[in-house]
Amino acid sequence: MSKKSRSKLWFLVHSWLALPIWFFVLIVCVTGTLAVVSQEIVWLANPDIRASKPSDDAELLSYEQVIKAMNRAEPQTIVKSLSRPDESHFALTSNVAYPDGRTVEVFVNPYTGVIQGIAPAFDFQQFTRALHGWWLVPFTNGFSWGWYLVSLLGLPLLASLVTGLVVYKRFWKGFFKPTLRFNHGARIFWGDFHRLSGIWSIWFIAVISITGTWFLIQAILFDNQISISSEPIVPVITRDKVPLSSPGVRAPMIPLDEAIDIATQRIPGLEASFVSLPATAYSHLMIGGRGWYPLMYQTAQINPYNGEIAASHLLSDRSGLEFVTESMRPLHTGDFGGLWIKMIWFFFGLVLSMMVLSGLLIWSKRTALATLNALKRSAKVRRQPQENPLGLAETTEGNR
Amino acid sequence: MNKATTINPPSPLRAFWLKWRFHINILLILVPLGFMPKYFADAALFRGDSGLGEREIGEVQVGPWSVKLAELRNEAPRPDPAGPMKSFNAALCATCIDQVKATYLRIGKPRSLRAAGVIFFGTPYRMGAMLPIPERTPLDAEVWITMEGWDGAMHQASVPLSQASPATIDWLKKRGVKP
Repeated sequence: MSKKSRSKLWFLVHSWLALPIWFFVLIVCVTGTLAVVSQEIVWLANPDIRASKPSDDAELLSYEQVIKAMNRAEPQTIVKSLSRPDESHFALTSNVAYPDGRTVEVFVNPYTGVIQGIAPAFDFQQFTRALHGWWLVPFTNGFSWGWYLVSLLGLPLLASLVTGLVVYKRFWKGFFKPTLRFNHGARIFWGDFHRLSGIWSIWFIAVISITGTWFLIQAILFDNQISISSEPIVPVITRDKVPLSSPGVRAPMIPLDEAIDIATQRIPGLEASFVSLPATAYSHLMIGGRGWYPLMYQTAQINPYNGEIAASHLLSDRSGLEFVTESMRPLHTGDFGGLWIKMIWFFFGLVLSMMVLSGLLIWSKRTALATLNALKRSAKVRRQPQENPLGLAETTEGNR
Repeated sequence: MNKATTINPPSPLRAFWLKWRFHINILLILVPLGFMPKYFADAALFRGDSGLGEREIGEVQVGPWSVKLAELRNEAPRPDPAGPMKSFNAALCATCIDQVKATYLRIGKPRSLRAAGVIFFGTPYRMGAMLPIPERTPLDAEVWITMEGWDGAMHQASVPLSQASPATIDWLKKRGVKP
């Protein structure tokens, strides 16, 4: 095969990868882009989730102080968990249960412990994630087929990146001589745009497609009951370790802050950015947070009656493989280093969405042109014109 | 490809296909649109906005205490690596919230507190348990509720499975009861 026809073949492959499913890819890109900043969007829209300081010298309350303040304000409400978001402008989120049986998330001011509001029934953050992640297809038995449908896109995305770089000859030159021609018509403009955003997005497309493919592998592993986790299965607290008390009197638990102190002292580097209170009388208290490696969480399970650390899952317990696999999700979502990383992910998410659109525009402009030419040709020359269903034979992409 | 198709102008059907073939995938949007009511119904179910579960079983008296039971979903047990599982939700009576240390669920009468079955997780207002449905569950099986007090007191009561989950009975009938 000649060099030229080989590059034409690659070009054909490149266009066919996304073209038949362009709209699906576009919506997945757009919803993913929104999902990256969904928390920030909610922050803008809903004052309840902002962590407003009552005064300049206000100090953050401890978890126990927060729960005490919540209990004082709403004695009937039971706090199930409490989590301190990475970014200090967000209120604490807490999972609570109400006497009427509702189990909802509430937003709590980290300085005062005031319950500022209840998460609305329509959870924008969850909805965009569900739409992006599994196309809203419910999970009934293992992973939903929507999850497979979306995560399968990782493969054509990766292939698009590779074939795109193959057909774009000497693409690295584009870094030094960026070309974006505005005055040569839409076709040229979108072509330049597609190439320019493509080369600057190489790293991002690689990250998204590889992590996206991991989600596919993750589902396959889970649905075949294959586990690569080193996370210990923690047995419940044995009957003899839960003290008996008199009727109607709960067995006394150690104060929450004390439990956190015990765990953070015994496990150096453990940070408590969330706490989960025991879900049964025989369950542990769980605390967790990031360690030195921002892409993974460490957790410790503590006996709430005596402060004994029953189990911990630390960075040092993870296998090399887990460092890779557990980093996949934060790398995909951009949620591992605060607002600025999210903004970078958001920006490149927009660029990637535009690449789907510009790819489609290039194809439709080219086809329109090619069809016109083909019609002219067949009108002039009535002898065996070449069938060109894609309108791509005329392309000289990358040979400019 | 066939040369005839290129020499003659393409049929309207083929022209239509060529023009729209890459846009058919827009129809994929019907998938999330179709599942949206289900998504919001599930969100309301898990928030507890639509009650304790999809189907309420009613209040069951267990010794001095009582518990409100519901099927999380009004459907057959779901497959699980550990065997078919059926999810139930429960809420303790207002006066027994401070009294009850733990609530358990089991198919068939437990011989002791140690074999009381699966424990309910959550708060007294709303807790859930995943009940394994054993291979040889008869149609007249009973679901036993065991409640334990902070002082170690134990009380039990049972509900016929046919009352607790008609969908499970239908499923057992369909599967054929194993001897």
